[in-house]
Amino acid sequence: MIRFEHVSFGYPHGETTIEDLSFHIKKGDFIALIGANGAGKSTVSRLCNGLLRPLSGHIYLDGQDTLTTPTSLLARKVGFLFQNPDRQICENTVEAEIAFSMKVQGWPDDEIRKRVATALETFDLKGDWFPFNRSRGERQRIALAGVLACEPQLLILDEPTTGLDYLECIHIMDHIRMLNEEKNITVLMVSHDMELVQDYAKRVLVLRDGKLLGDGPVKEIMKQEALLRQARVLPAQIPSLALAFGDRFAEVFTIREMHEAILSEKKGDPGRKL
Amino acid sequence: MNLLNYVPGNSFLHRLNPITKLAAAFLYGIACILCDSIWMELAFIVLMIAICAAAGLGTRALRLTRNLLILGLFMFVLQLFFVRTGEALVTIGHFVLITTGGLTSALLLSLRVVATMLPLMLLFAITPMNDLCNALVKKAHLPYRYAFIITTAFRFVPLFSTEFHEIQDAQKARGVDFETKNILRKMQLVAPLCVPLLVSSLEKVNSSAISAEMRGFHLRSRQSGYKEYPFTGSDLLVFVLLLALVAFSAVFL
Repeated sequence: MIRFEHVSFGYPHGETTIEDLSFHIKKGDFIALIGANGAGKSTVSRLCNGLLRPLSGHIYLDGQDTLTTPTSLLARKVGFLFQNPDRQICENTVEAEIAFSMKVQGWPDDEIRKRVATALETFDLKGDWFPFNRSRGERQRIALAGVLACEPQLLILDEPTTGLDYLECIHIMDHIRMLNEEKNITVLMVSHDMELVQDYAKRVLVLRDGKLLGDGPVKEIMKQEALLRQARVLPAQIPSLALAFGDRFAEVFTIREMHEAILSEKKGDPGRKL
Repeated sequence: MNLLNYVPGNSFLHRLNPITKLAAAFLYGIACILCDSIWMELAFIVLMIAICAAAGLGTRALRLTRNLLILGLFMFVLQLFFVRTGEALVTIGHFVLITTGGLTSALLLSLRVVATMLPLMLLFAITPMNDLCNALVKKAHLPYRYAFIITTAFRFVPLFSTEFHEIQDAQKARGVDFETKNILRKMQLVAPLCVPLLVSSLEKVNSSAISAEMRGFHLRSRQSGYKEYPFTGSDLLVFVLLLALVAFSAVFL
């Protein structure tokens, strides 16, 4: 789906730089990009849809080089949800807002109408709402509905759950997982929330100072505390606790699994202390 | 490079009282406006660049002059075709396109715009905004809230520009083609960006106001600043020189 080949990038004022970054994301994958502030996560996500272009190396999106393809064309394949929905929302009604991307991309009118209706229902929104005075969670849902209505093949989420309450966050992430599993949409998520990463991502890329520190299945990465420490990331709580309990808990990642593991330990040796 | 940023330094221009700098910039501008000679307007521009070069701001002054000349060019073209006095200079058939009066008036006006604006623009290079406002509050007894409005307006310009680019990026990511060469199409595309920019600006203004109020904004008065801005002999000298320049320009040029 997307391939980074020896990509380097630097801002004019010399902030975060990406150095010789190479990786490959397959179609249908659910990737989390983690790292400390300034590690280059947002830069990598913006390189994917051509908002930033590499200084050297190439990025291929479905075989198209992002250096030579305008962002507006890449936007037909890549949906990008920004951390702050207010930068994205620019229409006066929710309906027009969801239709905006499709109109810009030249979709037929009846198709737009159909998709807007579906999106309103899926995300529990009203078409005649004025988007700017809705709650933060609703505005994030409006922005996401607008992005997803175009059915992108690659969905990039830049810290999608910042400022959302837990239920809102689960609601949005569950929907994204459903799209990933059922419609085979590739997801690239930038996040600081390790619990979220662990619950939803399949594969994790760990960045530090613009370099790839680790790349592997989420369960493997979450158990590598030294690697996470090196990347200045606090590991998710349950796997971290499981590690402290030793090898018997190696397969424990969720609260339910932890509960079951403790119960079976107790069954085997009722007097045993953990 | 931002041409309105403060350039740190310790030259004679930097050391003047902020009020003197502001008044001098205005007086210089008035002298330029009163002057009616093309050559003297040119001399005013060269003199200003020379003064700046002496204070180590030569490159900045030249760049500003270049940018102002672009604005001047616009005025030049307007005047050239709209002022119809004097003799015909260029004619197409029986239609007089450019007159001598038009040409002189266009040259004079465009040079005057450059000469008048230059010292005001350079004021920002030699005066930190905070100093200027504090001095205005202390010496000119400007109410603090007005001084605050001025500093805040300047501080918000780069913020808005960043915000605008972020919004533009967000729209690009949705498929809006800002890379088009067609200027009319581009303007049409930029117009919808004003809505999110306005919304975020209003939010920013609101939160700034609340946080200023929380830190006792209304308590601030003329006595609150610890820095003093005394006038010195060189300030007096600059005042006298500039007043003489204005008088000279009014009487002789």
